[in-house]
Amino acid sequence: MKQKTDVLQGTLALMVLKTLHVLGPLHGYGIARRIEQISGDLLAVNQGTLYPVLLKLEQEGAIASEWGASQNNRRARFYRLTREGRKQLQVETQDWEKTAAIIARFFDAKAEDLS
Amino acid sequence: MKSLRRFFTRLFNSGARREREERLREEIAEHIALQTAENLRAGLSPIEARRQAMLKFGGVEAMKQDYRAERGFLFIENLLGDLRNAGRTIGRMPGLAAVIVVSLAIGIGVNTTIFSWIQMILLQPMPAVSGAANFLMVEPRAETGGYPGASWLEYRDLQTQVPALRDVVASQMVPFNVGETGQTERTHGQLVSGNYFSALGLKPAIGRFIRPDEAERPGTEPVIVISYDYWQTRFRGAPEAVGQKLRVNERDLIVIGVAPRDFQGTMIPLKFELWAPATMAPALLGGIRDLEDRSIRAFSLIGMLKPGATREEAQAEFSGAMAQLARDYPEASAGIGGEILPFWSAPRGPQRMLISGLAILQGVMLLLLLAVCGNTANLMLARGSTRRREMAVRVALGAGRWRIVSLVLSENMLLAVLGASLGAVIAVWGTTALRVAPMIGAFPILFPTRVDEFTLAFAMLLGAACGLIFSAAPAVHLAQLDVQDGLRSSSNTPPRSRARKVLMGVEVGLAMVVLIAAALFLESFRSARQTDPRFRPEGVLLAAYDLSGRNPDETSERKFATHLLERLRSLPDVEAAAIATNVPLDLHGIPARPFTVQGRVRTEAGQDRAISNTVTPGYFKVMAIPLLEGNDFAEMGDKAAPAQAIVNEEFVRRYLNDADAIGRRIQARAGSFAIIGVARNSVYGAFGEPSQPAVYFSYRDLPAIQGEIHLRTRSGNETALTSEARAVLRDLDPMLPLYDVRTFSQHIERNLYLRRIPARMFVVLGPLLLGLAAIGIYAVVSYAVARRTREIGVRLAFGATSGRVVLQIIRENLGAIAWGTAIGWVLALVISVRVMAKGAVNLPVFLGVPAILLGVATLACWIPARRASRIDPMAALRHE
Repeated sequence: MKQKTDVLQGTLALMVLKTLHVLGPLHGYGIARRIEQISGDLLAVNQGTLYPVLLKLEQEGAIASEWGASQNNRRARFYRLTREGRKQLQVETQDWEKTAAIIARFFDAKAEDLS
Repeated sequence: MKSLRRFFTRLFNSGARREREERLREEIAEHIALQTAENLRAGLSPIEARRQAMLKFGGVEAMKQDYRAERGFLFIENLLGDLRNAGRTIGRMPGLAAVIVVSLAIGIGVNTTIFSWIQMILLQPMPAVSGAANFLMVEPRAETGGYPGASWLEYRDLQTQVPALRDVVASQMVPFNVGETGQTERTHGQLVSGNYFSALGLKPAIGRFIRPDEAERPGTEPVIVISYDYWQTRFRGAPEAVGQKLRVNERDLIVIGVAPRDFQGTMIPLKFELWAPATMAPALLGGIRDLEDRSIRAFSLIGMLKPGATREEAQAEFSGAMAQLARDYPEASAGIGGEILPFWSAPRGPQRMLISGLAILQGVMLLLLLAVCGNTANLMLARGSTRRREMAVRVALGAGRWRIVSLVLSENMLLAVLGASLGAVIAVWGTTALRVAPMIGAFPILFPTRVDEFTLAFAMLLGAACGLIFSAAPAVHLAQLDVQDGLRSSSNTPPRSRARKVLMGVEVGLAMVVLIAAALFLESFRSARQTDPRFRPEGVLLAAYDLSGRNPDETSERKFATHLLERLRSLPDVEAAAIATNVPLDLHGIPARPFTVQGRVRTEAGQDRAISNTVTPGYFKVMAIPLLEGNDFAEMGDKAAPAQAIVNEEFVRRYLNDADAIGRRIQARAGSFAIIGVARNSVYGAFGEPSQPAVYFSYRDLPAIQGEIHLRTRSGNETALTSEARAVLRDLDPMLPLYDVRTFSQHIERNLYLRRIPARMFVVLGPLLLGLAAIGIYAVVSYAVARRTREIGVRLAFGATSGRVVLQIIRENLGAIAWGTAIGWVLALVISVRVMAKGAVNLPVFLGVPAILLGVATLACWIPARRASRIDPMAALRHE
């Protein structure tokens, strides 16, 4: 149970960072929309799980937040990437790519390759 | 780095909670509003749009919980929540909380104060010296059992012959007369070896200390180190003090340095002001032969083990060295071995005596604290049962058992910590109050007790332990709560609880033990003050003189005493005057010396001993001790009479089987004496002591360097004699101060000083404990009665008289109390028989205390029982 949320949070965190990197400052709903659009059903339900992740990132200093006005002119919390967050994104992207490559190779491997 | 930052943010956030909660709420609202707008645009109805938005967002409460867990540390938040809750709960019961906190504070405060004494003696025996507890006493020990001290030459030998010890230090206590002729002032100092200050690891406040080469050859360097207090009072703390001359025993000494603040020498609790090189002894003490004569054992030695060495090694080496010395110098060292002792059991000084007394006192006070805990547990338990419903609601809403326990625990811990803090304040106050000790027997005494981090930790530890102890019962009780039952039943009908009765019994039992201990102590203290000392202290003035600085011989000492007595007796207001070497009821006690008496053959091993005092003729008249047989000593000037002794009744009874004593000879270390009289028994060491054998020698035969002047006044106002006595002495010797002037009654008060401290404690704590026990019983019975309101109503309705109801309630509760009382009584009896040397059981105490305790307990039962029996039966039946 715990494990699963950790994995989910890890990937979610990376998605949040990437989203903010590409689109600039956004509020929670905006981030959720963007991730939904791209990842399909990952956030189709339980959009709320995004908020603990945002808080974690903020407490780590990867993102910062401040109050601003949303498109329908209501008070909304806007998140943006900090310099540290940019660095983190870079590192984690590389890590991710490396991991993904290894896993991919692993899955590609056939029985005869290993013998 | 990242995780560290997250950690601190979380830690910080644990405190600021409301703000974040608000922010999250707003963000969620905004999120759902935006999603709803989106859904509206997609063509859904307003209601459906919002519903879809909420569904998409997911479980708000679960998310909030995740969010909170992420934001801070849940357990810290729970703890803070619990503490806040505890604060509110305590605020709602200020009276009960006050009783608990104050009783805990007193219990903890008293224990901490006593602990600070024990701590001082065992761990921090020398103020300003770090690691002082590691010092060992290096004591030559005579075969006869005494510790005679070491001679200077012996010290020099031992320095090299006990390799397991490093830095063996020698010191000797000496009286100094400081100042110019005619206005000298008596001050105490130590003559010390050259390594004294370096071995103690001290740094001078200003100036420097005595160098090792300054204590090499006799009479080399006229230097002196002064104490910090002396520097402040006599030199007003001026840096120029270093280099100034100080006239000490008619010699000019140069002040070379100031000892660090609080340092008071190496003979605790004596407080010394001056330190001079040991090699100055002949110059300062009129040519005394301390430095050459191996039979003058004036120094006491302390040393520390070398790293890796053990006490056993040191002991073996020391014994070997002493055996060698006994062979090399039989006339001075024969029969003298050696013993290495821990510093706290120094043979000179009150530590050894204090530590056993303090240990008992601490034990009694810990019992008292335990009784306080029992009382508190009971109160909390009684209160806890009214909170069953609250707890049941909490459990029903999802609180785990552990949360309930931690809730109860945090409440009790908060009370305990409050109590401990207040207790620490009491301890600080108590310790300071007790520091202010009087001069005891001419020596300035300062017990260097203080409240430091050790003692504070002790107080807090006690508090925590108390908290745990009195949390246990209520916590277990509430955690086992059956939710269904708890929710259904009303707060007025808690179930039967055996725990409360057992606790009540335990508390009463503990109270019993402590109260009996207190009563026994007070009883002995009171009887001490009322006992007839069998001499008449009223109207007697005491004062001391000391010829040490003169290095007189026997003839001059005798002459001085004779002149002094003649002059004093010629004063119009003096009825009788005498000089003695010892004063009865002195805190230091009177020495008991070995002797053999003609006509007695000792069958067992060892030696006969008797209290011995050397007195001038006229002593028995001053003291109003009648001579039952024979006569007073021969006059001081009488050269013809043989050496004389007077013994007391007990001496005759014990050693002579009541045979005729007059004319027999006593052989003592000082020579042979003829018994010329028998004096009535009187008190020598302490009030209430069994009769002790005593021998009086005559000052004429054994003149001494010091003397205690005893003056009996004609008018009854002994203090009026002070100035006349001073004038007489100044006339005889202008350099000699008269010191330690006090009336005999003051002298006795001083003797009781150390007993008065615990006496005061008990006077306050006894009634307090009784009150607490009463409150505890009252609370338990009140709750028990409230629970049975209905039952009592039924009984009354069926015709029971209120008297019968009261009687029944009292009988039920008194059962547990009686058990506790009985067990406590037996325990106290066993302790008293084992601890009290005399073994006589003090019947009034052992009957009176239980009577009072049971009386108070019955009253505490009766009040709530009576209230219950007066209710209207109809109201009681309708109750609930």
